[in-house]
Amino acid sequence: MIGNLLARIGGAFLALAHEVGGVVHLLFKVLIALVPPRFDRDELWRNMYKMGVRSVPIIILTAFFTGGIMVIQSSVFVKKFGATSLVGWGAGYAVFREVGPILLGLMFSGRVGSNNTAELGTMVITEQIDGLRALAIDPVNYLIVPRVLAMIVMLFLLTILGDIVAIVGAALFGQLLADVSFAAFWTSFSQNLHIVDLTHGLVKAAVFGFIVSLTSCWFGISVRGGAVGVGRAVNNSVVAAALGIVLSDYIITYTLS
Amino acid sequence: MTRLANLLASIGAFVLGYVQASITLISIAGRSFRGIFHFRGRAKGEVLNQMYQMGNRSLVFVTVTLGALGMVLVFQVCLQINKVTGDQSQVGPEFIKGMIHAFVPILTAMMLATRIGAGIAAEIGSMVVTEQVDALRMTGVDPIDYLIVPRLIASTVMTLALGLFAMVVVILAGAFMAHTSFGVNYNVFFIFDKVLPGDMIIGVSKLIAHGAAIPIVAGYCGLTATGGSQGVGTATTRAVINASLSVIILDFIISAIGLATVQKVG
Amino acid sequence: MIHVRDLHLSIGDRPLLKGIDLQVERGSVWGIIGPPGGGKSLLVKTLCGLFTPDRGSIRIDGVEVCGLDEPALVPIRRKIGMLFQNNALFDFMKVWENVAFPLARLKPDLDEAALRERALMRLREVGLAGSEDKWPSELSGGMKKRVGIARATMTESPLVIYDEPTAGLDPVTTSKIYDLLEKIRQSTGATVLAISSDIQGLSTFVKNMMLVHDGQILFKGPLPALQECEDPLVHQFIRGLSEGPL
Ligand SMILES: Nc1ncnc2c1ncn2[C@@H]1O[C@H](COP(=O)(O)OP(=O)(O)O)[C@@H](O)[C@H]1O
Ligand SMILES: [Mg+2]
Repeated sequence: MIGNLLARIGGAFLALAHEVGGVVHLLFKVLIALVPPRFDRDELWRNMYKMGVRSVPIIILTAFFTGGIMVIQSSVFVKKFGATSLVGWGAGYAVFREVGPILLGLMFSGRVGSNNTAELGTMVITEQIDGLRALAIDPVNYLIVPRVLAMIVMLFLLTILGDIVAIVGAALFGQLLADVSFAAFWTSFSQNLHIVDLTHGLVKAAVFGFIVSLTSCWFGISVRGGAVGVGRAVNNSVVAAALGIVLSDYIITYTLS
Repeated sequence: MTRLANLLASIGAFVLGYVQASITLISIAGRSFRGIFHFRGRAKGEVLNQMYQMGNRSLVFVTVTLGALGMVLVFQVCLQINKVTGDQSQVGPEFIKGMIHAFVPILTAMMLATRIGAGIAAEIGSMVVTEQVDALRMTGVDPIDYLIVPRLIASTVMTLALGLFAMVVVILAGAFMAHTSFGVNYNVFFIFDKVLPGDMIIGVSKLIAHGAAIPIVAGYCGLTATGGSQGVGTATTRAVINASLSVIILDFIISAIGLATVQKVG
Repeated sequence: MIHVRDLHLSIGDRPLLKGIDLQVERGSVWGIIGPPGGGKSLLVKTLCGLFTPDRGSIRIDGVEVCGLDEPALVPIRRKIGMLFQNNALFDFMKVWENVAFPLARLKPDLDEAALRERALMRLREVGLAGSEDKWPSELSGGMKKRVGIARATMTESPLVIYDEPTAGLDPVTTSKIYDLLEKIRQSTGATVLAISSDIQGLSTFVKNMMLVHDGQILFKGPLPALQECEDPLVHQFIRGLSEGPL
């Protein structure tokens, strides 16, 4: 019983070490390909366009309702003190620093990251990657690096968009649900928030984009076992990305403050 | 002019697609809930099995992610309070309250939408593309009763259980962070009298709603998978994103209702 | 047994079955051939009510299938045993549970021991004694087909449909499978539809043939008449010529 449990824990650690090792290995290959830059520019633009455009509706929806949720939470908090003038600040602070980057990062991972894993995984099981190698095209330079760059840039830009939409949503729902006028919302928002609150979140967005890109590419190119393998890889990739996002969030918050 | 017409046509097709998908989704949801009531003995084992798998797969994941988030959130709150009033005695009670009715339900559910939702869609999707679902229907089995209902029951129970567990984890992690980084005493932090019954009601209703929404949305994505190996990947992707989105929207709706009812302040 | 009139089916906006007319007498044995993607699998699945046609009529034993909802389809499906093209073995069940499943659904009061007993008997008949406690993923392609055949014939239903029972199998296994199908058919007297792209092998088993192409039946009739068929596409297909409309 105990031996069994220990064996399972040991096995889980080995599996984890394998995946982490794979991601780190891929990271080095990507860095090497970046100095001097050797990657496919067209593929970069194509991916940026595809990933960005594909995610806009989902990011807007997520951000809009997140703003609503945050304004409700902060009004529960400040109303007791009769300080409705703090609602704009509370909602904005939470959205910019934490909730915005995390929820948008998770949605981006679900939308773009999992798609990327499925796409690369399908290329592996249909031997397209081997096909590239046979043509002396380096799959890392050609497929991975453009995707990594595209995801970092796109999540960063989408988070800016999401922050704006979330604040609009918060102001709107603040008026509708919590009796906070636009003017009061705006005053409290603009007077108490600082540019660092915004940049704090945007640094996170860039790092989250990096994490989503590396995990999704790694789980994609290491697919084994046919169709079922692709489903499993997508599953593992989004879970790993969620873990990576939360853990790096902790580290960034700690080091930036 | 033709461009405009094309644009309008594609918008129309998009909206129509969404309406059709929603109708299917609602019908699946209705049939699943109806399925709960004429649920018979045979599948009890399946429910327990699903509960075990969901719990087993998610326990460590939820502990790690929510624990880290708890520490981060407390950190941000303390940072801000230091700047404004410097009175750290309110941190614990307000943090605990906020975690219970707001942050833990949505964050746990987002994590489980990824973990459980992707798993359900991959499983059911691969059964669809390998014709196992057709084979079930040939023997008179309703795929909704057989595949979705046990997962619906299991996920609702497990999301509630994991959410309550996550509340404990988050509060402990938060207290630890507040103590080590900001010197907040544990006996000042662990004050639960700010938590009103209304907060508990909202937190629990959110967990139940999210726990029910995830398997229905993911099951819908799995059952509507088409094509071969790509179909399973696409279904999994759609499940993650749609389940997460439905969690966010449901959370918003319940928060708004909660604010207007049980959290109404003076 | 089966009467199909003017059957049309489209998925999305693609018409896939375009006016199928068909009569299958009780106890007859039909082969269905045709180029891949022609709609053979779709046709037999539609017969079982797994797809809803746009219009037309399908009657099985005099009962109209089109327009029935899932619960109403159950009694009709109980009359049909089906081997799916990719076997569709339940990967969460052991081999014997797969084979016993249709019977367990048909007779809910049979206990597990009895079900297992019946499944083992059937597995022995298809030459798979000893594999009952394996998982489907542990079996070879030919063994999976046999499990699928065992499951399809488990309830001895009056109509059996085999979708590509020999695809991807070597010639020896193929002829063994056809011997097996013939043995089962003689013992149950069921009506049989068998899809295959291997005309020679199929001809040893069936008495009638139909050729499906592009959602239409280009030929149907007794086996000998197939050779005389004038249609250029049928002519090309059954002789495997490279010149022709295909
Ligand atoms: N579930 C489905 N959804 C959409 N198209 C399908 C589906 N099943 C089959 N088709 C299409 O119908 C046509 C006929 O397929 P099928 O009946 O499988 O051919 P075959 O004669 O090889 O068995 C093909 O073009 C296929 O792409
Ligand atoms: Mg076929």
